[in-house]
Amino acid sequence: MNNRIKEFRARYNLTQDDLAKKVNVRRETIVFLEKNKYNPSLKLACDIARVFESKIEDIFLFD
Amino acid sequence: MKKAITVFAVAALVLVATGLWFFSAQGTLKPFDLLSFGVIFIVLAFAIFVGYKRLTSAKRGEPAEDELSKKVLLKTSSTSYYISLYLWVAILFIRDRVNLDTEEILGAGILGMALSFAICWIIYNFRGIKNE
Repeated sequence: MNNRIKEFRARYNLTQDDLAKKVNVRRETIVFLEKNKYNPSLKLACDIARVFESKIEDIFLFD
Repeated sequence: MKKAITVFAVAALVLVATGLWFFSAQGTLKPFDLLSFGVIFIVLAFAIFVGYKRLTSAKRGEPAEDELSKKVLLKTSSTSYYISLYLWVAILFIRDRVNLDTEEILGAGILGMALSFAICWIIYNFRGIKNE
């Protein structure tokens, strides 16, 4: 699974720290997500999609 | 913050206990004891690193634990438990061939378990957990 978190973050002008605080996780988790080293839970994916006002499938790309 | 302070407190207690052991046993230290000191210091360094990470997270206003850290801890626990089973089997095998006291064997087992936990945690923490 790939994701476009970095792209969306740049579009919304958010730092990793800002996004981490908005979805209530540690900055490290956002780093791992962006590097595709971690697949988030459905809840975290929903929270991230909500922050970016998008659908989950627009941010997380299932191969 | 509370958990970070607990980690530092436990690390300090272990350091004091190891220091007392070192100074009381000076002159009678065997190579095995020196190896034990080395492993204890590695585990202490790991504990201080974890405590420091938790402290910086708390200062940044981040949660002490989130889903990734919980998953890393879970995976670390299961892997280190699996390794420790083999470790104890190996220790039992060695016990019959090497002349060691029961305390030394138990100490080696406990230190080995702590070391395997620390190594597994470092690997999972830096490599990440993917597609599980």
